[in-house]
Amino acid sequence: MSNLEIGITSFPALMILIFMRVPIGLAMLVVGFVGLWMVNGTSDIALAKLKTESFTTFSSYSLSIVPMFLLMGHFATLGGMSQALFKAAESWLGHRRGGVAMAAIGACAGFGSICGSSLATAATMGRVALPELKRYGYAGGFSTATLAAGGTLGILIPPSVVLVIYAILTEQNIAKLFLAAFIPGLLAALSYVLAISVYVRLNPNSAGTRPRVPYAERFRNLIDVWPVLVVFFSVVGGIYLGWFTPTEGAAVGALGTGIIAFVNRGLNRKTFVESFLVTGRSTAMIFFIVLGAGFYNGFLALTQVPQELSSFVVSQGFSPYLVLVLILVFYLIFGCLMDSLSMILLTIPIFYPVISSMDFGLVNLAAMQADAAMEVLRSGVPVEMAQDMLDSINTAIASGMELTRDQMKALDIRVTESMARRIESEHLAIWFGILVLIVVEVGLITPPVGMNLFIINSMDRKTPIVETYKAVMYFVGSDIIRVIILVAFPTITLYLLPT
Amino acid sequence: MHRFFLGLSRLMAILGGTVLSILIVMICVSIIGRSINTIVHIDALEQNVGWLTDFVRGLGVGPVNGDFELVEAGIAFSIFSFLPMAQMSNAHASVDIFTSWLPRGANRVLGAAIEVLFAVALVIIAVQLYDGMSSKMRSGTTTFLLQFPVWWSYALSLVGAATAAIVGVYMAGVRVAEVITGRTIVADEMGADH
Repeated sequence: MSNLEIGITSFPALMILIFMRVPIGLAMLVVGFVGLWMVNGTSDIALAKLKTESFTTFSSYSLSIVPMFLLMGHFATLGGMSQALFKAAESWLGHRRGGVAMAAIGACAGFGSICGSSLATAATMGRVALPELKRYGYAGGFSTATLAAGGTLGILIPPSVVLVIYAILTEQNIAKLFLAAFIPGLLAALSYVLAISVYVRLNPNSAGTRPRVPYAERFRNLIDVWPVLVVFFSVVGGIYLGWFTPTEGAAVGALGTGIIAFVNRGLNRKTFVESFLVTGRSTAMIFFIVLGAGFYNGFLALTQVPQELSSFVVSQGFSPYLVLVLILVFYLIFGCLMDSLSMILLTIPIFYPVISSMDFGLVNLAAMQADAAMEVLRSGVPVEMAQDMLDSINTAIASGMELTRDQMKALDIRVTESMARRIESEHLAIWFGILVLIVVEVGLITPPVGMNLFIINSMDRKTPIVETYKAVMYFVGSDIIRVIILVAFPTITLYLLPT
Repeated sequence: MHRFFLGLSRLMAILGGTVLSILIVMICVSIIGRSINTIVHIDALEQNVGWLTDFVRGLGVGPVNGDFELVEAGIAFSIFSFLPMAQMSNAHASVDIFTSWLPRGANRVLGAAIEVLFAVALVIIAVQLYDGMSSKMRSGTTTFLLQFPVWWSYALSLVGAATAAIVGVYMAGVRVAEVITGRTIVADEMGADH
């Protein structure tokens, strides 16, 4: 077998192992190991690789952000912030039609801003919001579906563990990815609120009413969530403003939520140990997948499969958007079977080269030059510039043409094609990452196997899972509409990014 | 016997968590030190309250020296120490919708086979890590800033890796014994929070 053939055969082999319940990290490690063995004709190289690979993977400074974010999320749970958030959201929204469910979504979004994991968000908010929803006469399936959907905000709204992994895989800036996730995250929360209002209009009996809360109390409740805001802005803001590295930001967040939990008496010796065990289990699971993925991807790169695949796709002349949509549909389907992190670690090294070799026209060189030129001209026309030069520049900008070298020299700006290409590839990576993240998360709430559905449903034994399935389709629908909007208008995702 | 291994893996996880917490505090101290250091180097302050800035600088306030290297060494130890716990509580992410159709007996055999495969992988990882440590020992590589031998970090990690291998072999033994005897020795706790 040629190397390429070995690489291609490794896919079905891997899939068979994974579908036979072999843990995903182990399956990737084994297939990667055997693959390297076959490519090299000896196991020595694969074994030698293992001498340092496990240590270097686990001792990665940038990956150390993951256990810190996980610990931070657990401290946030212990700190009672979920109650404060839900109470605040409920006092503002609760009296509306479906308002308590909307409040649950709002509280999930708030909790997502200090917790980087979907399941933790769903589980934590479920414990707080489910009894309240029941108290005000919300139907069981509707309540569980709301919380399952709300949980996905945990991963979309920064900080996000999956985005950290994506950033490391594609060598992108974590701070920029967090920033880009912000608007789509808010959009997700809004679209879930919309989905709720549609649901309660179509099923009027599914939600009870709740009395209005006086404004004084509303503001009082809002003030109670200040620790969340402090933690969120110091972590995400601090990372973005360059006060500290993402890892340092995660440490600040973990310490901050730890202090909140301690002050609120949520942290004692027992819960402290418990948070170590919970964090430890998730961390070990994630890092074992990262280790396996590193091994598998190293082998795959050696067989040239990703390169061959991307050059094949490009040579076929498919429309970039068609390829993108196909990939997203693939994620939508597989996201139902696998957790988001495994999905991303398994597929990004294969799909990302394909996507990044295509031209989506996200950045326009002429427009970038026009922006820079306008910037200069706004502060006054340079004195030494001749009138006909100014005219020619204005004509070029007005007609959307690229500026010539002389024109740029006269303006004292330098916006070259390579700069545009660099920004284009960065924006593409970020946009693609956010889209993939959303689509994979939709898998978490897609019946019949969405993980979030099971977590929440297990907290409410009286509700048959079929009821949850029915109600969650409204949220899945709103997710799909949102993905279409984000694909059609990349600017929404890229708006906050500096150029 | 199960209690011993459970206790062992819990102990390792708690050790790992403690080191993780220490790293978090150290990073925050380092950030504070760095910030103070930046502040006392502001020109305006140096000119006006020079006695104070000199005093603070005299205390040697600044970022923790080599914090980056300490994080790398510490986090590797933490993660390796978390592995035994994950092994004991079956925390690893897997796809079980296809195998859930299989009869109970077949699932048991499959589970045992997977556990054996995992144990083999963990043993190989630990043995190779030991090899890696030995070669770092021979080459005498040290870290850049703190100049401590790299094999120290490997040795710390090896504690977790070796425990994981032992626990992995134990769990594999349990599952194989269950298949042979047909009795449940250790209930399959779904402690997974993925």
